[in-house]
Amino acid sequence: MRTGLVRAAVLGVTVVLAATFLLLAAGEGASQGQPPQRKKAPAPVAKEATQGTPQEVKREQQPGARESVQADVSARTVSVTSSFNGTEIVIFGAVDNSQQPSAESGYYDVVIVVEGVPGRVVARRKNNVAGLWLNTSSATFDAVPSYYAVASTRPLDEIASEEFRASHGIGFQHLRLTPAFGQAQALSTEDLKEFRSAVIRLKQKEGLYVQDPYSVAFIGRSLFRSAIELPANVTVGPFTTRVFLFREEKLLSQYSVRLTLEREGLERYLHSFAFGYPTLYGFMTVAIAVAAGLLASTVFRKPAH
Amino acid sequence: MQFYLPVAEMSANIFIFIAMGGAVGFLSGLFGVGGGFLMTPLLIFSGIPPAVAVGTEAAQIVASSVSGALAQWRRRNIDITMGLVLLAGGIVGSFFGVELVGVLRRLGQFEFFVSACYVTFLGVIGTLMMIESVNTIRKIRGGMVVGMRRSGQHNWIHGLPLKMRFQRSKLYISAIPPFLLGLFVGLLAAIMGVGGGFIMVPAMIYLLRVPTNVVVGTSLFQIVFLTAVTTILQARLNYTVDVVLAVLLMMGGVIGAQFGVAAGERLKGEQLRFLLAGLVLLVGLRFAWQLIAEPRDLYSLSPGGA
Repeated sequence: MRTGLVRAAVLGVTVVLAATFLLLAAGEGASQGQPPQRKKAPAPVAKEATQGTPQEVKREQQPGARESVQADVSARTVSVTSSFNGTEIVIFGAVDNSQQPSAESGYYDVVIVVEGVPGRVVARRKNNVAGLWLNTSSATFDAVPSYYAVASTRPLDEIASEEFRASHGIGFQHLRLTPAFGQAQALSTEDLKEFRSAVIRLKQKEGLYVQDPYSVAFIGRSLFRSAIELPANVTVGPFTTRVFLFREEKLLSQYSVRLTLEREGLERYLHSFAFGYPTLYGFMTVAIAVAAGLLASTVFRKPAH
Repeated sequence: MQFYLPVAEMSANIFIFIAMGGAVGFLSGLFGVGGGFLMTPLLIFSGIPPAVAVGTEAAQIVASSVSGALAQWRRRNIDITMGLVLLAGGIVGSFFGVELVGVLRRLGQFEFFVSACYVTFLGVIGTLMMIESVNTIRKIRGGMVVGMRRSGQHNWIHGLPLKMRFQRSKLYISAIPPFLLGLFVGLLAAIMGVGGGFIMVPAMIYLLRVPTNVVVGTSLFQIVFLTAVTTILQARLNYTVDVVLAVLLMMGGVIGAQFGVAAGERLKGEQLRFLLAGLVLLVGLRFAWQLIAEPRDLYSLSPGGA
């Protein structure tokens, strides 16, 4: 009779579980109309779209005006599955009409900026209050990129002017971290500066903000590549990649390409379940827990004397 | 083997978390406690965001208490009336607790508050348990016969209105104290990510004077339902239940608990209580250290809500 009770309970839980999954499947089917950018990475947008064929360029011998850069990433869509543990993205590009004598000549400079989704971040500072460490002050920043990597052929200050870097947000010191409107408390400019550098430092520590001045390498006269590490804790979403081509501190050409990190498979299923149907998800978790507990107690039950 | 946790949004080594579940399961089987007060801190120290640790642990406590509650049910050791009154208070408390977690997270004081709760409750309970067990061990060494005392004397609780008959506990007392006790434990369960047995059991014995043979079963009964409700509320309001993490912990936990129970049968009650008190104090001290020691980095980041 006791085993009967346990059996009934296990059966009940199984039925609940099955029903939950059926409901879910129906829900998933109904919500097929996902945001459009999740499906496909948009085609690369060429900033310098108008360009002549190589023959035309050679005829007009105006040095410095012809070169243009094109680039792409090794994977436009990166799947974040259950086995996701960070990944490496290769960004490669080519200089059209390269005047460069060889790969080693250092004739051109390339800067690659990869940025993740901007979001709101709260930075908090602990203070010692009566012997205890607790958060006492905070600053809220809007549009903090979840990920930010700058790769270049040389240190940035040798490649582009301060003004250019500032206006294009290249390099940590030119990151546009805008303090949010309506801070929790009034902050002096000094304080804001400290919070700002704390955000950058902590993001760097997590491997989410990277600056590597020698990581873009030319492979031939026109071909270059760079590898960028996306750590496991990176935020899922669309990324923008901007590629700048310089010659003696002058911008010759610019190109941008998007790449998207998407949840896939079980990972995506569970995430959208947890955030889309939180109540049902809670019930399912409880059902699993009850089933696990009952299963263990039946399996490990001492044989009756 | 790495697994990307869907809600915690981090890559975790599954064997580490199964082992963690197993170790805590063993201890909880050994001492007859839920293990939440050990598991939640372990999860936080291993890098799981505190709010996710608290939410997920509620689910794992459901799994670890359900078989115990069933066993007590078979032995008729549950006072259902008392359990329901405690549960009613518990659900109200849990609701406020889950809300409070949300508010504290937005204020950036959640971690501090959790640490302070752990220090306070583990410190007090650990100390009391330590004193009691040492005294008992000493008395037994001295050759005294120790029995659980149960005085019939009345206290202030018996003057309250809304009296109810709790048959299995052989009590006729007001429903207000058990309701408030349930509310308080529910609040703590939601904030600390624990079942609350370590507060419920002594409070039932010393405050409500429920007979000891009914206490554990009734407490387990209410913990199962309370943590189930808390899990659903955390999932619904805070989105902080990670089902993958919960399953990993359960896998280790339910197996570890079986071995713990077997090991516990070889130890005497007061020895177990002494060891448990030591463990409770250690965890409390770890949290106290975190509050007192200068942090390596004064700054921290958190995603800002809208």
